[in-house]
This record gives sequence, structure tokens and C-alpha cells, in this order.
Amino acid sequence: MYKDKLYHLAYRMTSNRQEAEDVVQETFLRVYKNLDRYDENQKFSTWIYRIATNLCIDRLRKRKPIYSLDAESSDHEGLDGYAMLPSDDRTPESELLLSETQRLIHEAIATLPVKYKSVMILRYLQELSLQEIADVLEMPVTTVKTRVHRGREFLRKKLEHKL
Amino acid sequence: MKCNVAVMYMHDYLDGDLAREDTKQLQLHLSECPSCYTRYESLERTDSLVKALPIEKAPDELSDRIMKSLPRSRRPSAWTSWVRRHPAVSAAAIFMVVMLSSFVSMWNQSQELSISGPDLEHVVIEGKKVIVPEGQKVSGDLTVVNGDVQVLGDLDGNLTVIDGHVTALASTAHIAGEIKTIDRAVDWFWYKVSSFFGTLAYGS
Repeated sequence: MYKDKLYHLAYRMTSNRQEAEDVVQETFLRVYKNLDRYDENQKFSTWIYRIATNLCIDRLRKRKPIYSLDAESSDHEGLDGYAMLPSDDRTPESELLLSETQRLIHEAIATLPVKYKSVMILRYLQELSLQEIADVLEMPVTTVKTRVHRGREFLRKKLEHKL
Repeated sequence: MKCNVAVMYMHDYLDGDLAREDTKQLQLHLSECPSCYTRYESLERTDSLVKALPIEKAPDELSDRIMKSLPRSRRPSAWTSWVRRHPAVSAAAIFMVVMLSSFVSMWNQSQELSISGPDLEHVVIEGKKVIVPEGQKVSGDLTVVNGDVQVLGDLDGNLTVIDGHVTALASTAHIAGEIKTIDRAVDWFWYKVSSFFGTLAYGS
């Protein structure tokens, strides 16, 4: 079922449940409206992932830049980036991160630069092949490869000293 | 093998994209370079940890919300998608409609009586009636639009009547050419077309 896959994708991309729900809804709306423009030569999953990924990337770009969550904000004394994240108080108890490890990975993914984040999420959490990711993001496979490598190094450096 | 090449190989290996021969070389390098081995272990751990993140399930009420947000009817898009798929046919259809409507409107507009021909001197007009009087001779063709024609004299050419009638010919009448009566748009269209090509052919 695409709903859950897209929600998972959007949640990892935006790190925000409300936004993830909005992205899934918007994705289905666009699919529905543009069904007659769907090119039957490409896989349906490729098309729907492309719409969802682009919506997530748009949302991340529109956000005010937060360069580092760990840095103290200059405007608000004593508040770091985490305190300024949109609060996600809808269902706090459902954030069932069972261990410190999971929390660290979640945060590491959240801090990935957008261009690596989309590639890494499609690769690791949606288990798409490099070729499928290239089709979704409409870029050469070599670029996808480079981004997977850089993203992996980024995560490794983030997690290396904490785990 | 140099360490920077080894790192590239590590990533390709983790992508499932490294040839068997190269994998053997990487294995050899890792066995003799502790820092690369540490790095590989670290990358491998990162990989498996990221893969192990639990799947976030969408809330149950999201489906309802999506279904409610979708517009009800898709009727108009069926029509527009057909147009989008057959651009040539659509263009031809629009062209035909425009042409036909212009012909029809032209045909409807001209309700006035009009006569044309090279020799109109001896023709008499009474209201909506065009008369070639007895004893008179009209040389050349005669075309009458929106009027009845009565021929009493001689007509030395074709007689064409559009949207009108030729009243019974008098015994004195003599028409050298043929008589044509046109009272429908289609015939009128053909008349226009054939006279157009006639003009092209004879230049008159």
C-alpha cells in the first residue's frame, strides 16, 4: 500500500508527522488530478515517488534555514535548534524509539543535507535500487551513486563517536 | 591498493556493485590495513543501523482525509484528454466548424435580391421578380440571387437562380444555355466551389 510507504518517506524527509500527512495527501491529490498525464512507459511507483519526493524537497527548501541544530541560536538566548523545531505534540507517545541508538540515527538522518537525504531515504528505507532512484529523481545513476557514498560518509561521521 | 581506492570499493561493495575480482582485492587490503578495516566496519554498521529503523505507519484516519479531499467528478478531463491525445483531429474539427458556420452565416445573411451577368440592360425588375421582357434579348449568363425569374424573351446563356424559382417559361422564351436552380446551402457551397475553380481555370 502506497499510503504507508509514502508516509514513511515523508516522515523521514520532513521529520514531522503533520507535514508527512500533508505531503501524502497532496501526493494523492496530484496523482488523481494528473492521472491522464501519467506516462505508461514508466513504473507507477517511480512516478508516485517522484511526486512525493519533490513535495518533500519543496517543503524543506521553504523552511527557514537551520544550519545546525546543536548550535545555540543568536536570537533566542539558551535555545538550541531542537527547541525551535516545530513541536510535534499530536501523539508524542507514538514516537516509539526503543533505544538511544534509534534516536541518534533518527537525528542523524534529520540533519542530512536535502540532496543526500532524499537519496539515502529512497535507498535505505524504501529499498529502491540505484537505477530506480535515478528514475525517481531524474538524474544520472552516477550522481545517485556519488550521493549515496557521500550520504553514507556523512552518517558515519555523525554516528561514529556516539555509538 | 591505495586507501582512497579502497574507500571507493567499500562504498561500491555496500551498494552491491563491486565485481568479484575487485572484492577479493579489497578483502586483501582490509586484512593488511587496520585503519581501512576500522572504517569499513564503521560504514557497515551505519548501513545496517539505518536499515533497521522502524517503519512509521500512517495514521488510520489519513485514508479518510485523503478520500474526502479528492474532487468528486472527473468528467471534464475525459473530454480534454481526448483533445490532448488527438491534436490533428481536433484542429481539423475546429477548422470544419469555423468554415461551415461562416458559409452558413454568409448564406443566411444575403437575403437581398442581386443580379449578375454581363448584360443587364434589358432586364426588368419588379419587386422580388426579375423579368426578361418579351422581344428582348439578353446576351451572356444571368445569375439571380433571392428572387424569382420570369423569362419571356431570349436568354443567350445559362440561367442560374439561387434561393428563388423560375416561373413557367412563356412560349416566346428562348434560353440558349442550361437552367440551374439552387436553394440549399450545400448546393450553394458546391456552386461557390465550382465557380471558384472555374475562375481559376479560365481566369474570368
